[in-house]
Amino acid sequence: MSAVPESIEARRETPSVAYSEDPRDVDWVGKNIPCQTACPAGTNIPAYIRAIAEGRHGEAYEINREANVLPGVLGRICSRPCESACRHGWPGNGEPVAICHLKRSAADYKHAGHRITERLYAPTAKRVAIVGAGPAGVAAAHDLSVLGHDVTIFEREAGSGGMLRYGIPEFRLPRDILDFELHNALRLGVELRLSAGVGKEPGETPVSALLRDYDCVLLAAGCMAPLPLPLEGDWKGKDPADVCKDVVHGLPFLMALHRGETRKVRRRVAVVGAGFTALDCARVAVRLGAEEVTIHIRTAEEYIPVPKEEIFEAKREGIRIKGLRTPVGVVLDEKGRMKGIKFVQNRLGGWREGGRRLAIPIEGSEFVDPCDTMLIAIGQKTVNDFLDVKVELDRWQNVRTGEAGMTSVKGLFAAGDFVTGPTTVIEAIGRGRKAAAQIDTWLMGHPRRKKVVRIHPVAQPLRERAFDFIGRQEMPTAALHDRVHSGTLEVETGFDQPHTGEESKRCYLCNLRYQIDVDRCIYCRACIEVAPRACIKLVSGVEVLENGTYGKLTEAKEWNQVGAIWIDNNECIRCGACFKACPVNCISITRNEFAEVDIA
Amino acid sequence: MKTAAPRHHVIVGSGVAGAQAARTLRAREPEARISMLTLASLPFYNRYDLPQVFRGRQDWHQFLVDPPEYYTENRIELRRCTQVANVDSQRKVITLGHNEEMHYDTLVVASGGRSYLPEELSEFRHLLDGFGSYEQAMVVRRKVPEGGTVMLLGGDMIGLDLARTLLDTGHKVVLVTDEHTFWPHQVTDDEKKELLTVLERMGVEIIAGDCEGGIDAIQEGAKGLPARRVIFGGGRDRYADVIMPFYGLHPSVEFMLGSGVDIERGLLVKKSLRTTNDAIWAAGDVCQIWSDEEKRYRFYYGWKNVRAMGELAARNITGEDEAFEPTQDESLHIHDGVTIHSPFWEYA
Repeated sequence: MSAVPESIEARRETPSVAYSEDPRDVDWVGKNIPCQTACPAGTNIPAYIRAIAEGRHGEAYEINREANVLPGVLGRICSRPCESACRHGWPGNGEPVAICHLKRSAADYKHAGHRITERLYAPTAKRVAIVGAGPAGVAAAHDLSVLGHDVTIFEREAGSGGMLRYGIPEFRLPRDILDFELHNALRLGVELRLSAGVGKEPGETPVSALLRDYDCVLLAAGCMAPLPLPLEGDWKGKDPADVCKDVVHGLPFLMALHRGETRKVRRRVAVVGAGFTALDCARVAVRLGAEEVTIHIRTAEEYIPVPKEEIFEAKREGIRIKGLRTPVGVVLDEKGRMKGIKFVQNRLGGWREGGRRLAIPIEGSEFVDPCDTMLIAIGQKTVNDFLDVKVELDRWQNVRTGEAGMTSVKGLFAAGDFVTGPTTVIEAIGRGRKAAAQIDTWLMGHPRRKKVVRIHPVAQPLRERAFDFIGRQEMPTAALHDRVHSGTLEVETGFDQPHTGEESKRCYLCNLRYQIDVDRCIYCRACIEVAPRACIKLVSGVEVLENGTYGKLTEAKEWNQVGAIWIDNNECIRCGACFKACPVNCISITRNEFAEVDIA
Repeated sequence: MKTAAPRHHVIVGSGVAGAQAARTLRAREPEARISMLTLASLPFYNRYDLPQVFRGRQDWHQFLVDPPEYYTENRIELRRCTQVANVDSQRKVITLGHNEEMHYDTLVVASGGRSYLPEELSEFRHLLDGFGSYEQAMVVRRKVPEGGTVMLLGGDMIGLDLARTLLDTGHKVVLVTDEHTFWPHQVTDDEKKELLTVLERMGVEIIAGDCEGGIDAIQEGAKGLPARRVIFGGGRDRYADVIMPFYGLHPSVEFMLGSGVDIERGLLVKKSLRTTNDAIWAAGDVCQIWSDEEKRYRFYYGWKNVRAMGELAARNITGEDEAFEPTQDESLHIHDGVTIHSPFWEYA
């Protein structure tokens, strides 16, 4: 194992940090740190991975918390859009960094009682009511309380966390981790009222009353109502769950189990759906004793919006996935019990909005696949019939919000899946935080924070070329027998510290910007010779776009056309080879990252 | 007058389908540049003959279908031990594992299938031996002592072909059955029972995996005992010198993910073997072909089908417009109540 270059001294010695609003700098960060750009919460991923590499797990955890108040939770269950975007996973670069697993490592290895960083604002005496204690509501509550507002959350269920507690099985998300981080997020004076429904029913608090009693209200009630399964023929317009007790909707099934109720499945379970809920239903069915569990999907496994590792673990537990089929009916026996599902064979079509594949049914290709329990997990929709105020809706019957995050009712904001329909936990957190900023602006009459680029000189490369050859570390898991028989035993057991260290070295640290000072460059080509990729280019010009940012490079074909030597930071893997090879020290390194600063 | 530059046909895979595609392309387009990329260290060799390593045939030259000079004479650029990392179908560029980029005009994906290992057994991978390549066959040959015991898990037709040779050469064969036994043949429960009886008569010891509660663990054998131990869910155990998974094939398509070509388990192709990208074709165990009769995409196994696919893809690339017709008999027969006959075992 190679050691991480010691940078603590370098950090101590670095000169002053600059803050920039120059569009070129803002554009550079947006374009060159693909993981952070892909993260809906904007987590500063290179910074926290670097902190892990240096053994500063508590600091890594806090860097996470700046964007995402539940790092230990997300380190276990995130959908990982960052890893899909990771430069290390680009063609020819190998596999993406295990960003999510490292997030978990930061949470696992921080010291107990480490210092929490919360930049508190003075109390404002403004009161905000939040409906829903799911990821969006909790994230918004945290940020609003930091900003000095008095926040009360109204939660219908007996526990906080929303989908985290009631939708995600414990073998993926241990409840002690969830409880710890929820408490941490809400402990700055947020009042959490559990079993406190908001709505029009007796005993519930109407939204109109909240609007009267609070300065503003944020609706973050999530998206928990199951979508009906569209069937054909005799079953058209009918919900088989209403007819047959062996047919159950997946999310209510999981929620009931997580409320402590008993649920059973029969021997052969068929799950219809392709998301996290479908996979969770299947894995729960295995733990409830099903002998054969099959997930039926409309397209193909490649297009399931779930990390490959989760799919692999499900398969290890004996679950099978069958693709290219759409359910069109159910087959019941003479006693009305489930006998099978009637499917139609599909072919793949084009792409749907949101990057999902279309499935085109093939006429005349119907067939029956036997099963005796059916779990339907094809998605959820929002329910807004609890609102006693008239709110403008969009075409999907979700509450419509304007640019400032407010609905058509003054003082009534909405965020998270309640507005967008079902998304991911990290998206809900990102939207909750955004709503908090919008509410703060509305309450205070002006924005109090703005996003800038913090530019921090770095004395030397922080990586070694050898790091590029470290393979992605594999997440260890609990033994199959133990996990299936326990029912709640956490499957992923987490990296140990040596594996955490190795994986953290793999990060390219894309927030490092390598630049050549063309006035000092002697065009010796030493940097080009040592570069492992075509990342240093002789250019005749650089396109400058209307907003002042840089566009395409025009590479020079002849020496007499060379106007500059340029590091293409899109190709650069931050190995530092050019920096070390330069005989005239004309290559500089800066760490460029987004930061929020107060508006004076 | 300027003539068009010869096309560059790239073939990924050097098995039956890839080799036949190359042969046909060369015959039909003499000026074309043909590159064949393969992970294998040997040129095209006869994998159906690998059980022969137990009959003393161990020199790799004896397994080659074409002599090494064939590739030079036919101007087929054969690149062995070459991994394809990904395919950019927009730019028509293949990136190789060592970061080299290779442009193509047409691409034939004939990367075949590798031995499928059920995910629940993946943690025991290091204790299992494959039989998919010459190198693996030689490792198994070295590991199995004279009269030693080989345990076959699953028992597809590739494994059962090896079992016949092992029995002939004085070895013991234990078969742990499951749903993959006799793959790719589709057999009914009654047929399966009858076929297993024949295998028992041939000398195979049968362990019904389901009845034993499935495989719970695989371990190193203890000192003085065979090298491997399988523990079943019901508590029974069984030792063997070598344990080999034979659970059918898994198409090798990972490098095509993200290429824009439609994939379910294999590459989804039309009957012409063209994928959803006009410049990319597929042949052999890697492609799923739409069957009008069965109303589904399906794989067609067996060397006759695979070779026909290699030829057809090449013919269609060079101007024909023909549809794939299966050429392989897929039925499994019992002769005289004592021998099993599978068309998948016949190679010419």
